[in-house]
Amino acid sequence: MKKPKVLILRSAGTNCDFETANALRFVGAEPRRVHVNEIKSGKTRLMNFDMLVIPGGFSYGDDVGAGRILANQVRLYLKDLRQFIRLGRPVMGICNGFQVLVKAGILPCSNTCEQTAGFTFNDSGRFEARWVHVRINTQSSSLFFKGLPEMIELPVAHAEGKLVLKSPRQLEELKKNKTIAMQYVSDDGKLSGYPFNPNGSIFNIAALSNPEGNCLGMMPHPERFTSIHHHPNWTRQTFHKEGVGLAMFRNAVDYCR
Amino acid sequence: MKETQQTLVMSQPAVPPREAEGSDFASFNSLSPKELKSLSDKQLWSLNESELSAVQAHFKSIGRPPTRAEIETIAQTWSEHCKHKTFRSPIRYTEGKKTRLIKSLFEETIAKATKQAMKPWCLSVFKDNAGIVSFGKNGRWALAYKVETHNHPCAIEPYGGAETGVGGVIRDVLGAGLGAKPVLNTDIFCFARPDYDAPLPENALHPKRVLRSVVAGVRDYGNRMGIPTAAGAIWFDDDFRLNPLVFVGTVGVMPSWAVKKEIRPGDLIVAVGGPTGRDGLHGATFSSASLEDAPTSAVQIGHAINEKKLLDALLEARDRRLYGFATDCGAGGFSSAIGEMAAVCGGAEVKLDAAHIKALDLAPWELWLSESQERMVLAVSPKNLKALKDVFAAESCGLSVLGEFTNSRKLRVHYKDQKIVELDLKFLHHGVPLVERSAVWQPETPKASSSKAPRKSASEVLREALGHLNVCSREWVIRQYDHEVQGGMVIKPLQGVRHDGPGDACVIWPHAATGDFEDFSGFAVGHGINPSYGKVDPYRMALACADEALRNLLCVGADVTAAAFLDNFCWASPEDPRQLGALVRAAQGCHDAAVGFGVPFISGKDSLYNQSKDLGGKDLPIPGTVLISALAPLSDVRKALTMDIKGPGNPLYLIGWTSEELGGSLYNQICGLSGGEAPEVEVRSAADSFKAASAAIQKGLVLSAHDLSEGGLAVAAAEMAFSGEFGVRLDLDAMARSNHIYSNEVLLFSESPSRVLLEVKPECEQALLKGLKGVPVRRIGVTLANPILKVIGLDGMVTMEEPLSALKEIWQASLPKRCR
Amino acid sequence: MITRSTPVYRVEVRLRPEFADAEGQAALALLHGCGLYAARELRSGKVYEIRATFNMSQVQQAARELLCDGVTQEWKVLNPGPPHFNGMSHWRVEVWPKPSVTDPAGETVRTALSENGLPQPEWVRVGSVYHITGKCHRNQLERAVWRSLANPLIHRVSVTEAHQ
Repeated sequence: MKKPKVLILRSAGTNCDFETANALRFVGAEPRRVHVNEIKSGKTRLMNFDMLVIPGGFSYGDDVGAGRILANQVRLYLKDLRQFIRLGRPVMGICNGFQVLVKAGILPCSNTCEQTAGFTFNDSGRFEARWVHVRINTQSSSLFFKGLPEMIELPVAHAEGKLVLKSPRQLEELKKNKTIAMQYVSDDGKLSGYPFNPNGSIFNIAALSNPEGNCLGMMPHPERFTSIHHHPNWTRQTFHKEGVGLAMFRNAVDYCR
Repeated sequence: MKETQQTLVMSQPAVPPREAEGSDFASFNSLSPKELKSLSDKQLWSLNESELSAVQAHFKSIGRPPTRAEIETIAQTWSEHCKHKTFRSPIRYTEGKKTRLIKSLFEETIAKATKQAMKPWCLSVFKDNAGIVSFGKNGRWALAYKVETHNHPCAIEPYGGAETGVGGVIRDVLGAGLGAKPVLNTDIFCFARPDYDAPLPENALHPKRVLRSVVAGVRDYGNRMGIPTAAGAIWFDDDFRLNPLVFVGTVGVMPSWAVKKEIRPGDLIVAVGGPTGRDGLHGATFSSASLEDAPTSAVQIGHAINEKKLLDALLEARDRRLYGFATDCGAGGFSSAIGEMAAVCGGAEVKLDAAHIKALDLAPWELWLSESQERMVLAVSPKNLKALKDVFAAESCGLSVLGEFTNSRKLRVHYKDQKIVELDLKFLHHGVPLVERSAVWQPETPKASSSKAPRKSASEVLREALGHLNVCSREWVIRQYDHEVQGGMVIKPLQGVRHDGPGDACVIWPHAATGDFEDFSGFAVGHGINPSYGKVDPYRMALACADEALRNLLCVGADVTAAAFLDNFCWASPEDPRQLGALVRAAQGCHDAAVGFGVPFISGKDSLYNQSKDLGGKDLPIPGTVLISALAPLSDVRKALTMDIKGPGNPLYLIGWTSEELGGSLYNQICGLSGGEAPEVEVRSAADSFKAASAAIQKGLVLSAHDLSEGGLAVAAAEMAFSGEFGVRLDLDAMARSNHIYSNEVLLFSESPSRVLLEVKPECEQALLKGLKGVPVRRIGVTLANPILKVIGLDGMVTMEEPLSALKEIWQASLPKRCR
Repeated sequence: MITRSTPVYRVEVRLRPEFADAEGQAALALLHGCGLYAARELRSGKVYEIRATFNMSQVQQAARELLCDGVTQEWKVLNPGPPHFNGMSHWRVEVWPKPSVTDPAGETVRTALSENGLPQPEWVRVGSVYHITGKCHRNQLERAVWRSLANPLIHRVSVTEAHQ
């Protein structure tokens, strides 16, 4: 079977690249960790890959703002990214990668290619790592969610995770386009406040998609839930077959085939 | 603002007048001992009289005065920080009426025990920058573990001190063998209470500030490095108010071929990482002095992203086998790193011209001695240089060639056309004169714990214990650390139904480092620290800490028969014979623990002179503190265990014997009592029961396990219950105990060591008892569906019945409330 | 080329007023923890001090394209001279790393600016700015800042009162 080639974009400070590569390799892809310097110099070209993942971490220390400098580089050196997405190839931004996609104006999708959303500091004023419940938007056309239950659990770990929008009207548009891919919920599935919504994101948004469903940006970390033994309560209950994060990577890789 | 710009320029450090190198101390060889000492104090060398006269004698014998760079090199190489003089010098030790000479405390305690307890899986012990043990299926991998302290820097600039502490210990692991990929950071702190409200000396930072800033420093550096910080402890005692203790550790994974390192004459000296500035000059000598003498240049700020670039580039170069030796630039900077490497190879010819610098006015000796962070030194065969440069350039990481290694037996350093150092290696590394010190330990006949009936009920004591700073939840700290990065955290530091119970240890499945999803090998680390016991008896403290560290490992299902120890001693001044006597006691405790448990020490460190002038000018020494860290493998992480009660109707078994051991206990503190015996570990029998319990856990007979530590049985049972949200009923009369105990409180709160509480599958009770034959183990209770903690006293009456939610609330609220 | 007369620009970046400032709230809580309850509100921001051969439009480009987030933040180039405020009892506190202290964020920005086609600055330093509303006494405010937000060993602090 074909092994889809996945570009894992890294820079100084990227730190979730190895585990992301492991998950992708496990579901049959051929991942390559590529430093943005390599794209800049022209040694490696995005278009030679079937899928792009921008993993989590602290690109350039998150100095100036989380993901800001890498987003700037994505604009400058990955000029073919919009074309890549238009061709329907899967793109995934996780945590810092999501922040990069938003600050590069890729998500939320807009006609003007302008940045229309941003991230501010968590309402708690602190970096926080915890497992959260998220509800997947079953009406979203996202290719990453095939076969997943509506309610899943994933870990988050960030300081600047509160998604904000440029204008309030935008929220209605996102709802209409069905591009709100995931929302933080309480254990009984309701939209709730802290700590269920770990950062205070508007409308509890945890992930955004493009309307076509091949580009996904998410704050939670699917690469940290690939085995049932990642779940905080695996010693108490055994209802999972595998980590839902792994299923998300498998969906994307299967789609590339 | 115009004013700012001017201020900026004005506050630039004054450029020191550039004395011509080589003639700085032309009259050095003719100075009197008194003049030498005053020169040394002025220059912050921290050399004592006999060391100064040894230096003078050496330079007299070669017929020239030393250069500044030479004396600075010697001063830092001979510093307490680098040479551990206290542990290696002769000590005349008096205990009671007996006096004996200890030739070297290290050799006669830690090293001796380790030789005896040595195992074939110990790959490198006390040699490299970290201890290294074998790991993984078929020994394909190795684990490197190191724990460091950064106490003095954290006292004066806690954020930067914590950051650079973490950065330093990560580089220790990167510089172990040919470099290990860090997969876990640990942090253990000793602070005064954050709500300490008595006056402090003028320049001392408030304990709350220290706590918050240290946590922030560990968080910001560890999170940016992408290393989970997931194991640790915090101990509160007001005697740490002037000298907080900050221990930071790193565990790394490397392929087993990368353990060996070597340097050949002709190999290039290659410095990699960040540029060199004036940072941290005299850091090594500073750590040998007490706090009041701190020069401001000893303060440093970390640059995590520079270190991350270094990590990425170094491990790539390692896997391409582009260098033969690596070590980190810690205290003493290049002088120490290259000086040590020169000793390995037999000489070095250093040319500093090519070094990357960030301060233009740096004098050559400063460049040589600077402790700028995020730098390492490699030995590189000339044929690999081109490829190595490419790897580092691809990560935008600095690299400069600083000369080559030789076999000349000399360390020579040049800057432009000046020779600033020419030192005989034998003198540099073995010329330090060792001074005999005296040490005294006066055993006190323990006063019996006051036998008056306690003024507080068991319920009151339990509530206070759960809210006590040394017991309460650390969630406020742990959540700030990215403890799941690398996706290997199989058993998390916070456990239970709501992911907030106090786990005994974390278990790491390091697949991000091995790339192997099929090998389920993992490891756990545990810690033991209890300065309160040390106030009663440092010997028992050391044993109790080792015992607790092993029980932490046991409770998550690690193989305690393959455990390894690390020691970290933090003490006040060894010039004080009583302090040194207590240190000797503690070191003997470490020896007996290692031999008795059959667990070798693989690495260790000491930090001395932790005392400062309090208000009124009197010295406030810290309580002598030993931290024992323990590392043990799990052959299959899927068999690991957590501490939360799993369901109702399960029998509870207590392993271990309970005696009246309340000296230094939480109970005494809460009830305002003093005296009593500090817990005493029966090492041999403890080792047997741990082994048997470990086997039972491996067989899957046990549902949950938790160790009994501060607050004894009552606290441990409460924690298990509220984390699992199932009740517990305990019957105190069923406990294995000394005959003379007639008090429910003693049974509930005694801190007798070597005890573990197990929740057992009902169908496995017989198998458990069979496996634990010969071990003191009793069925002392059962789990309940009703969420309460119910205790039946010795008289058969209910002595305590507490709702779990109330207990948990007290336990959770304590720390955040006081850190606000 | 960097010369003696190379100018130093100061660019302040902060959250737009419509967004909650959680970092500012955290800083305010620390000041309250030091007893400075007179401080009622606090908005935080960053000040970038850039020594470079830029002209004004290049400074603006740097602020727009790199230093400031287009959606959540606003920026302005600070004029030399005391800052201008509206309203009463408004304090401006700046905390800067001393020149001899490593400034990782400054180094990052320095490298990043040249990627946007700007000449590489000689140096960039990053400071924190706190706008505080409340009837504070200067001494109390300075004391609270030194006890919670700054350390004399590595920081320099300037405190300016609005109506002075």
